[in-house]
Amino acid sequence: MHKRLLLSGLAILLVLGLIACGGPAAEEAEEAPAAEEEEQIELRFWMHQNPAFIAANEEIIRRFEAEHPNVTIKLESFEYDLFIQTLQTSMPAGTEGDIMEMFGSWVCSYADRLAPMPESVLSYPEAKEQFYAAPLDGYYCDGKLYGLPNEFNIENGAVLVNPKMFEAAGLEFPPQWGTTEDLLADAQKLTQTDGDVMTVSGYHFVSGDGLAFQFLAGILQRGGEYWKADGSGMEFDTPEARETLEDMKSWIDDYQVTDPFLFNGETNWVGESFFSEQVGIGFIGPWIVPVGLEEYEIEFDYVPIPNYAGDKHYFAADAGWGKLVSPNCEHPDVAWEFVKFATTNADNAMTWNIGTGTVPALKSVAADPKLLEGMDWVDASLEVLDYGRYVGPLPDRDLFWYDIVYPHILGVFQETETIDEALVAIDAESNAMFE
Amino acid sequence: MSTLVKTAQPRSRRGRSGSNRGRGLFVGGALTPLMLYMIFWTLFPMAWALLLSFFDYAPAHSGGGFLGLGGDNAFIGLGNFRNMLGDSLEAQKFRISLKTTLMFAFLVLPLNLAITIPLAVAIEAVRGRVKTFFRFIYFLPTLTSSVGVALIWRYIYHPQRGLFNMILKAVGIPAQIWLSNPRAIYLGVPLALWAIIITYLWQDMGYNLVIFIAALQGIPHDFKEAAVVDGANVWQIFWKITVPLLRPTLLFICVMTMLSSFQVFDIIQIMTENGRPQDQARVMVLDIYLNAFRFHNMGWAGAESIVLFLIVLVVTLVQMRLLRTRWEY
Repeated sequence: MHKRLLLSGLAILLVLGLIACGGPAAEEAEEAPAAEEEEQIELRFWMHQNPAFIAANEEIIRRFEAEHPNVTIKLESFEYDLFIQTLQTSMPAGTEGDIMEMFGSWVCSYADRLAPMPESVLSYPEAKEQFYAAPLDGYYCDGKLYGLPNEFNIENGAVLVNPKMFEAAGLEFPPQWGTTEDLLADAQKLTQTDGDVMTVSGYHFVSGDGLAFQFLAGILQRGGEYWKADGSGMEFDTPEARETLEDMKSWIDDYQVTDPFLFNGETNWVGESFFSEQVGIGFIGPWIVPVGLEEYEIEFDYVPIPNYAGDKHYFAADAGWGKLVSPNCEHPDVAWEFVKFATTNADNAMTWNIGTGTVPALKSVAADPKLLEGMDWVDASLEVLDYGRYVGPLPDRDLFWYDIVYPHILGVFQETETIDEALVAIDAESNAMFE
Repeated sequence: MSTLVKTAQPRSRRGRSGSNRGRGLFVGGALTPLMLYMIFWTLFPMAWALLLSFFDYAPAHSGGGFLGLGGDNAFIGLGNFRNMLGDSLEAQKFRISLKTTLMFAFLVLPLNLAITIPLAVAIEAVRGRVKTFFRFIYFLPTLTSSVGVALIWRYIYHPQRGLFNMILKAVGIPAQIWLSNPRAIYLGVPLALWAIIITYLWQDMGYNLVIFIAALQGIPHDFKEAAVVDGANVWQIFWKITVPLLRPTLLFICVMTMLSSFQVFDIIQIMTENGRPQDQARVMVLDIYLNAFRFHNMGWAGAESIVLFLIVLVVTLVQMRLLRTRWEY
């Protein structure tokens, strides 16, 4: 009995001690600066860890602070996976950053935990005038705008090419492809094998991100639609989707420009294998170019690709990085001012795009020739930006991309399922997301 | 005699009381921080997972009521557990991950024992520095980071530049696509899972090996000598003396190996990127992680973790029942 009492007493003392150490002292520390310097405002800015993105945001913060001497914006960055986890755990606790740089396709999932943008900052119609629809619409949920994009995340419209390989195969460079067949004919000549093993993929288009983007673009360019007319769900068991898959499968079966067992999202990922000279033509977004320039020494270019069908390069995009404000922010007016400063001011937006090597979401930046002085490779993507649209209100972008579309299309290529089976499965599983 | 006892008792009780108080203080002082640590970092998360399993909870929803439970994070009772038997994509993935986890754990344990027990006997048989050297070499992978091990082995399995395929090619055997060929299935187990099991065994076996060596050192030589006198050969000594006397250690090893096999995550996450190809390497902890942190489906992930906990509990109890001993030596 005494022992129990003793232990309980000790435990209570320890807990009280911990509370005593943490509570009042911490409160005093928080209250002190506010009392001393009333005009000083400190905001926390959260973002994912990427050196180029950090440097670009630091520059924008520096400019904002120069114009607003009473404001300090403290940048806090997190490794990508940790960033997502931290957002998910901090938001219910109300401890997230005051301003956050988030990916557009996440926004509607987090809308409950985000502050809607006041119309006085920028209304949706005004924003539509200034920004491309594809990135902006990722930030528009249930009739409210929750932030503004800096980036137009695009994977379609252009590919990486290796000039040395083109030269060695006796091909014209830069390539002038009029049709997808022209591209595939070049890719066939670039493909190399050692016995049964493909050592160089002429056209590596099988990746976790790339397959869904190509699939959706193929449907749209054939005049199809993947959303049901009433918007209640998705539709993939359609002639346009079937034709798109048949076409993509023929690139493997008939043209043999890649081996889906050796070159896919897990083995010989397109970015890595292209820069290690195992790929002649690689389907990937322009965001890879700065990575290639920074980390690899090979010569490469980024060139436009022909339409899969039709005369317009229609495609679906999943928004892009942009800036939002927490509903727990104590100075929302200042936070929104910063968001507007970073995204709608053409100089700042261009600095951010050039610094991060991303395609602009702001139309005026995309139209400015100065952009190409900083990043000439982006020219290949700029041509098609007007044909892009937001992928749509997917309940879970990653689930759709990586657990539904990619595995089934890869299954078709690896012949573990038929095109019909894959389409039925993609249709059913996509619609299950809405239940 | 009785007087002596009566007079001695109060003194003795006072002495014990003093030492008990000191011991109580020491135990309380030593255990309370640890208990608080366990309550905050083990019991509380477990209780939270259990609570979440009854809700359709996503951290991104604002929810309502106590701790954000309610509102958009609706209470659904046993709905998550019932849905595990349904046709939804999550349920299918859950069942795939459950099957893969069971396959993984029930392959790893016997393979681990089949390698480590004979190896421990062999190492125990050698003397001097050679024994230390072997023990060190085999234990080394256990000290290595799982992430590092996964990255290196992923490269070893690379279909074009990997060491294994170079060896296979050198001896005239066709190269294998170790980690990304869903059509390669051997003995009913996908090749990707075999590849992961090999890596896992390589890293994990050193731990069991050291414990078995220690246990072997604890077996009195008298038993073996008596068996030799009775005419037993090496094989008989191993099966009739060594293995039965290793039973308490075997229980410990079986429980620990099974526990860690059920919890495998990092090696698979890195080597196969979320359990591909075609979810052939998708294990339960990976599925829980993906649902909780990637697909924002924390209520479902909580329910899965409760199921995993119950499976591990049952398997452990069965092992303890089967392998328990009622004797000491």
